[in-house]
Amino acid sequence: MTLEAFKAGEALTMGVELELQLVDLTDFDLTAAAADMLFLLGKQPFPGDVKPEITESMIEISTDVHTDYGALLGQLGQMRNALVEAGDRLNVGICGGGTHPFQRWSEQRIFDKPRFQELSALYGYLAKQFTVFGQHVHIGCASADEGLYLLHALNRYLPHFIALSASSPFLQGVDTLFDSARLNSVFAFPLSGRAPFLLRWEDFAEGYFAKMESTGVVKSMKDFYWDIRPKPEYGTIELRVCDTPLSVERAAALAAYLQALCRMLREQGEPVSEDDYLVYNYNRFQACRFGLDATLVHPRRHETLALRDDVLATLNQLAPHAAVLGSTGALDVLRRVVATGNHAGDLRRWHGESGGLRGMVDAAVRTFRGDES
Amino acid sequence: MMLESLGNPLAGMAWPLALLLAWLAGEAISRWLSLPRVCGYALAGFVLASGQLGLLPQPAGTPVALLADFAIALVLFELGQRINLNWLRHNRWLAVTSLVEAFGTFIVVLLVARGFGLAPLPALLLAALAMSSSPVAALRVANELRCSGQVTERMLHLSAFNCVFAVLVFKAIAGYWVLTSAGGLLPALWSSLAVIGVSAGIGAMFGVAVPTLLRWQRRGGGDATVILAIATLLLVTLTHALQFSALLAALVFGLVVRYRRIVFSGADRGFGTLGSLLTILLFVYASATLSWSQVAQGAGLALAVLVVRTLCKVGACVAFAGLSGIGWRKGALTGLALTPMSVFAILLLEQTRHLGIDVFAQVAGLGLLVLALELLGPVATQRALILAGEAGREEGS
Repeated sequence: MTLEAFKAGEALTMGVELELQLVDLTDFDLTAAAADMLFLLGKQPFPGDVKPEITESMIEISTDVHTDYGALLGQLGQMRNALVEAGDRLNVGICGGGTHPFQRWSEQRIFDKPRFQELSALYGYLAKQFTVFGQHVHIGCASADEGLYLLHALNRYLPHFIALSASSPFLQGVDTLFDSARLNSVFAFPLSGRAPFLLRWEDFAEGYFAKMESTGVVKSMKDFYWDIRPKPEYGTIELRVCDTPLSVERAAALAAYLQALCRMLREQGEPVSEDDYLVYNYNRFQACRFGLDATLVHPRRHETLALRDDVLATLNQLAPHAAVLGSTGALDVLRRVVATGNHAGDLRRWHGESGGLRGMVDAAVRTFRGDES
Repeated sequence: MMLESLGNPLAGMAWPLALLLAWLAGEAISRWLSLPRVCGYALAGFVLASGQLGLLPQPAGTPVALLADFAIALVLFELGQRINLNWLRHNRWLAVTSLVEAFGTFIVVLLVARGFGLAPLPALLLAALAMSSSPVAALRVANELRCSGQVTERMLHLSAFNCVFAVLVFKAIAGYWVLTSAGGLLPALWSSLAVIGVSAGIGAMFGVAVPTLLRWQRRGGGDATVILAIATLLLVTLTHALQFSALLAALVFGLVVRYRRIVFSGADRGFGTLGSLLTILLFVYASATLSWSQVAQGAGLALAVLVVRTLCKVGACVAFAGLSGIGWRKGALTGLALTPMSVFAILLLEQTRHLGIDVFAQVAGLGLLVLALELLGPVATQRALILAGEAGREEGS
């Protein structure tokens, strides 16, 4: 089976997927509540899509296709409210965050669905250790080649998304000192990292993908865990490096940031080169480790620059694009993040203030409800 | 307890030997029959009791009774921690389920008991006992199987609530009994309202004081089980000395501590090794209070009560399943999981001893009901949780 055709459509549409944590409100550990939540949510129309994820303590929501930031934010808010209401009726807490700070992966239950059971059999403990929670943002592309161009042109901005969304400082009960420890878990998979540097869809589909498929290693695009990957059946590229933020408001802002960036890159049309990837893994590490305090190396100019300054400069550059797209509010949200810190910083602060990991998760659950922030 | 029997070394070894045999029975029943270990403990206790093989002396009223009270207090404390009263605010139908299953059971059991010709007061006491679902079996089985899900959560909440209702109603009726048969108005009121209020008050006081102590010891987190166990022991002895309800006090203690975010997870659940040891003791103790002569009579009433009680609990949980946000199947399994009753009922009965009421003598059939539910109850809970798909691992593995 060859790779399906890229269903090109309207450019710069966007859609968001959020993987969320289901938390026990007594001990604030993860709880296997996905089946009960899905049952209850299935009894009335859900303002979006909701589905199970690989372990029973995760749930994934996804929005419709949007062009407008306000509409995206509105839908995410409605889905959040529906989830919170269902959680209240079942005594289940729902929260964001890229990792659960103290869950023990060995105690996670794999959701009863053939694909998940197959993955579990193949990857063993990796599948359970993959109990991490990401935000995926899809951007619609006018053509498959445009998709591949944007995918590679975005590589220089990838650390921005990691730092702005980072919300996974704790893992297995300890502060990892990373702002995003989640991405380290993703890196353990053999097919993670970046997509091969190919700019023409036929080279990608008939060359790279067909060869990989004939090796038997992959069957579909789903088997690649790349940071950004094309999604031919949607006609989108999908950014996968973001931790799920603690609030849907920030998730919407990140999606709008990507949309504005893509608009700018499409208009500028600067050529991309494989050498841009020389500093890719280094910058990625810096953003994971230090968040907004990271120091990046510019892929072209080879000079060091503070990630914080780079984000601010980009936000300024994007202002006219956001004005056209109607997402100026989103850029304001991100400016505040740059000024006051990302969610990883909030989590560390709560950990210190409220005395411990459970108090921190409690605060994260309340943040997701919209009680705070 | 050991000191008293130093003169007879074999008699002194009776309890440790019984614990060993009960442990073996529990492991065997778990490994070969995949049944809950607690069933093995209960069976061993009954077989070894004074009325049967006679290894164990009648334990009621001995210092072992205090240890058993300590054991159940630890369970109720942990249960209290897991009770989220906010849930009732968000899910009113769960509150309705709780009231209907508890008081519905009270009414149908009362009717059945009267139908079997029981006098009004013993019938009322039996009905009050039947309301409760023993949290010991529920929590133990749930912890052993590492359960999580709606059936587990609802079982634990409903069990906590119906135990509180059972204590309220039981104490009130016992007070009324004392009033009509011997004492005056004062002892009756004392044994119901005051006991309940003050017991809860003592529990709440502990709930405020102990976390403060913990915070002073070190700032949050870490292993708090030792100090919590000591505090619970203190709570039990204090409430005993003052003749209040250790059961209620321990439950409220846990409930209040929850809001200071001191809760167990993972290995601490069930108070670890201490909890496991005391659970064996508790089940052996509870069934060793029963004798064959109590069990051998009143089979008709026992069977009838068992059937209507189960039907009522399952019926109530099914009736409000949809309204409270789960499917009818999970509702039915919740009701089934509420079957255990015995350990809690026996300890509740123990506390009426000082009032001079011997309920076992008054209610033929209670002995058999208690023994049957002690053996079948945990099995029902275990099967319900496994059928609901909420077990994290199978028994015995």
